[in-house]
Formats: sequence, structure tokens, C-alpha cells
Amino acid sequence: MMIRLVSAALVAGFLAAVVATGLQFALTSPLIIAAERYESGEATAPAAQWMPRGASPASLIVPVHSGHDHGGKTDGVEGGEVAPAWQPGPGLPRMVFTALATLVGGVGYALLLGATLIACGREPSPETGLRFAIAGFLAVALAPALGLPPELPGMEAAPLAERQFWWIMTAAATAMGLYLIAIRRSPIAIAGGIVLLVAPHLAGAPETSHAASALPPGYAAQFAARSLGIAFVFWAVIGLAFGWAWNSVGRKNPATSHA
Amino acid sequence: MTTNTLVLTGTRSNERLGAVLMAAFLGLGLVFMAGFAPAMALHNAAHDFRHAQNFPCH
Repeated sequence: MMIRLVSAALVAGFLAAVVATGLQFALTSPLIIAAERYESGEATAPAAQWMPRGASPASLIVPVHSGHDHGGKTDGVEGGEVAPAWQPGPGLPRMVFTALATLVGGVGYALLLGATLIACGREPSPETGLRFAIAGFLAVALAPALGLPPELPGMEAAPLAERQFWWIMTAAATAMGLYLIAIRRSPIAIAGGIVLLVAPHLAGAPETSHAASALPPGYAAQFAARSLGIAFVFWAVIGLAFGWAWNSVGRKNPATSHA
Repeated sequence: MTTNTLVLTGTRSNERLGAVLMAAFLGLGLVFMAGFAPAMALHNAAHDFRHAQNFPCH
């Protein structure tokens, strides 16, 4: 069963990554690169915000550079300073690593989807897969985006750790809330589920950026909408493909389903 | 829900639990790596994916 689950997740993650990578290259990457051109015109003010916590003194220089050169431009390197952290080169290498990250993320989400399906006692099929995938989209894409809209480089406001914490809490609470509402279904569970869905938004997300930016607002709006659209397609393909792959892996090797 | 549980390929429940835990652990690990890992090299490699998928970035 473990092998079947992992195989189906690999297939689903791969297929979803192929689709989502194509969409990202066509829809979001051009906006990210355009935004970085605005960002690199700015001072290094936002750089201090995305230093990793507990950074050693030697690595403090890295974000100062990376704040404006993580777009693939290494023009900030000067002799005698610590070199900036590794980053993929512009153009093809950057696209390859974006595709790779999408693959890793897709397989990760597919594994979580499969684990949830099995844990909830559902026989995976394209239909159940799609249902759970929509829940996944709501939990990790739509709900966090209500408080923290998808951001282009240079739009960041609150410290990274705070936003990551709120993101994870919201995703977990939404997932649990949906589970209580859609699967538990008792009146108490539904009431608890609604509380869980609403609570993160009442608690409030870390503040988004209100600072004026040279970045045209149209870019940001377009990016947010496209990002959510891609996330939905990503999840839908993961769900459908996981259900399909689970059954075709099982057919080819029926022993695994009973092993 | 109980009927579905019984239909599910008749596997022993502890095996099911093992598969679920393993997949959940592995899945969380991969998503963390792609979306949250603070190492600068990982951040830079996954940068465009993180923005596109609305993971908090920088």
C-alpha cells in the first residue's frame, strides 16, 4: 500500500508540475521578472526583513545583496565582500529550478492528498481525488490568500516568520474545519468547523504592505488572480491524476493492494 | 464513513496507518523544502514557485 501510495503521488505530482510549470512560465514568471526590475531600482530597505532568523554575522551581508539581486543579477558583488548566496542564473537555469521546485511541491501535495484520502477511509478515484483536491486548494491557497494576498517581489511587509506562522496556522485550521464540516457532519462538528474556518481571519493576518511602490498596481492584481488560478489548476490535476494513478498502479500490480 | 473504511481494499488497519503516516511525513517534508526552507540557496532556487504558489517569501 505504501508503494502504491508513493507511486500514485509521484505520477500525480509529476503531471501537475508539468501543467503548473507551463502556466507559471506563461503567466506569473514574466510578472515576477518585471517586478524585480522595479525592486532593483529601490534601495535595500526590504532586504533586512527577509534575513533568516539566527543568521550568523557572515551571512548578514548575503540578504543585503540578495535583496536586489535575487532576480538573477549579480552586479552587486564587490571584491573583498562575502559572495551572495548561490542562486540559479537568469534564463534557462532559473526556469529549470522553478520547474524542479514545482515538481517537489507537487509531489509533496500529492502525498498529503493521498494520505488524507486514505486516512479518511476514501477509496482514491479521480472523483474523490478532485473533491479532496478542492479542499486542498481552499486550505493552502485560497484561505491564506485572503489574509496574505500573493505578492510580487518587493511588496513584502511583515517579517517573514510571522507571515509563515499565520500561513501555516490558517492552512491547518482551514483543513481541519473543512474536515469537520464535510466529513464529520454532525451539528457540533459543523459549528466547530465554521469557527476554525473563520478564526484565523478574525485573529488577523500580519499586515500587508501599504507603502507606495513604483510597481504598477495592475501587475499586483494580475499576479494575485493568476497565482490563484494556477494554484487551482495545480490542485485539480493533482487530485484527478492521483485518483487515476492509484487505480492504474493497482491494476497493473494487484498484489500491492493486499500486500 | 464506516462502510467506506471496510470497503477499502481490506488492508489491515496498522498497515494503512503506516502508509498514511509515512506519506504525510514525506509530503510535509517536500512541501517544507519547496515552500518554507530558510536556506538561502533553497529559497533562491524555489523563488518563482514560492511567489506563484503564494508561500510567504523573503
